Amino acid sequence: MSQGTRLGFIGLGAMGRPMVLNLLRSGFAVDVWARQPEAAQPLIEAGASLCVSPADVARRADVVFASVTSSADVEQIALGTDGLIEGFSAGSIFVDMSSIAPTVTRMIARRLSEVGVEMIDAPVSGGVQGAIDGALVIMAGGKCEVLERVQPMFSVLGKKVVHIGEIGAGQVAKLCNQMVMVNTIQAVAEALHFASAAGVDPAAVWQALTGGSAGSRVLEVSGKRMVEGNFTGGMVAASQHKDYGILMSEAFRSGVPLPVAGQVWQQLNVLMGQGWGGDDTANLLRVLELSGNGR
Amino acid sequence: MKIGFIGLGIMGRPMALNLLKGGFDVGVWARRADAMRPLLEAGAMAASHPADLAGKVDIVISMVGGGPDVRDVMFGENGVSSGVGKGVSAGLIAVDMSTILPATSRQIASEFKALGVDFLDAPVSGGEVGAIAGSLSIMVGGSKASFAKAHPIFACMGKNIVHVGDSGAGQVAKAANQIVTGVGVFTIAEAFNFARQNGVDPRAVRDALMGGFASSKILENHGQRMLERNFKPGFKSRMHQKGMNIVMQSAHALGVSLPAASAAAQMFNAMVGAGLGEEDSVAMLKLLERLSGEEK
Repeated sequence: MSQGTRLGFIGLGAMGRPMVLNLLRSGFAVDVWARQPEAAQPLIEAGASLCVSPADVARRADVVFASVTSSADVEQIALGTDGLIEGFSAGSIFVDMSSIAPTVTRMIARRLSEVGVEMIDAPVSGGVQGAIDGALVIMAGGKCEVLERVQPMFSVLGKKVVHIGEIGAGQVAKLCNQMVMVNTIQAVAEALHFASAAGVDPAAVWQALTGGSAGSRVLEVSGKRMVEGNFTGGMVAASQHKDYGILMSEAFRSGVPLPVAGQVWQQLNVLMGQGWGGDDTANLLRVLELSGNGR
Repeated sequence: MKIGFIGLGIMGRPMALNLLKGGFDVGVWARRADAMRPLLEAGAMAASHPADLAGKVDIVISMVGGGPDVRDVMFGENGVSSGVGKGVSAGLIAVDMSTILPATSRQIASEFKALGVDFLDAPVSGGEVGAIAGSLSIMVGGSKASFAKAHPIFACMGKNIVHVGDSGAGQVAKAANQIVTGVGVFTIAEAFNFARQNGVDPRAVRDALMGGFASSKILENHGQRMLERNFKPGFKSRMHQKGMNIVMQSAHALGVSLPAASAAAQMFNAMVGAGLGEEDSVAMLKLLERLSGEEK
């Protein structure tokens, strides 16, 4: 597919907006739609054209991307009233870059395939900064030949694209990513909390651990936030909590025990109950501190 | 009083039979027609769909698999609600005895209220044995007036019948029941396995515990079955797994931590994955034995 391919993009939030900008800068024509039309304004100024509905986007574009919040949102956009399915013609491609339940992904793909539309699930990691820098990691599920056709856009959006497997496989990989990341944030929070309670400077412990065999990206980034007491903004905990809900439902469906993730999920529940969901997941440390700082 | 009963599975069948034995006129409907046969032979009348059934009775009861199934028989095509205004009596009471999310139950109650139908959530505990014996515990949420009207019906199916509170309260009580029984079975299995791995006879341990503060119904009944290695359901572990999943999803929505229930829920996931889903939840002991390196 050439730069002449017409693209559609739905969902112009913190992730979607910079992704569209990167596509425009690379010379793609992009038709956009968002629930709040004002979200589209900066993109229209940058050359995108505004559509009146997802169906409208699907009628104009050859490949439509979505980056929205929940499984229900993607289902609504794809299959709801004025949804993509009403505008797509056979041979179109739907690329969902949201993080949603793999079961919902597979259901949507099945419905779209009935009208000759292909689907790729392509959740990302790398956050807002990764989206701005075009340096996302893209975890893709779907057919090889379809993935090849969207590869030119993926290479604009991300620095690494991994074809994980069939449709839904990208979402499974994303859940694994979230589990390893947040379980590790909890482990780091426990270590620093333990150090404090034992009367030891957590900053010194953090420094010692960084670079050693306990070293990790999470220790560097989230651990630093914890040591500095910087709990606001950042990686929004509500989003991790949402992902854990999906993860644990999948574990239930598969009959697979996730004992550690199950406990971390409970800590995230406390975090949400405290009203800290809008702030960084490093707040898992403050959840531990709710029960004091040791005797 | 005429009663309609929807869902005639392992629980619904004996419950409906007990209503017939109690002298009530009972109409039935089930997705699979052959599930209705034993009830028809016992004197129940057949309905062609839930709306048809609701038109013939004063109280309609559902006992089905999960939230989506309840929504389907109540609000789906030819569901109970589609009969409202077309033959279903104005004072109809709808009762759901399945175990579903409290939030789903509250949603159903409010949708029914808009149609002028009163709704009770009335999940049960006691398993197949309790359903057959008519000795279920029934936990009810909804209006006091409808609870009073339905009470004689509940009394045919159960012994301990409690009006817990408003709509959804019955499901919340059931979830609390799942927490206690799920963690309880897990705990007893753990204690017995621990005793055995330590070279001590779990029988003797159970005897000792039964006299003290650790004694409970679960230690008594489930503990006994573990010692007898009687893993026949009872209450299938995959059903317990489903119940724990409802509990954990509710905790997620509330932002409430359930660390012990979470550990138990993961063990129930492992049981289903290990092929123990069709066995009673006391087969938790087998899983722990496997984890201790004993093939059983």
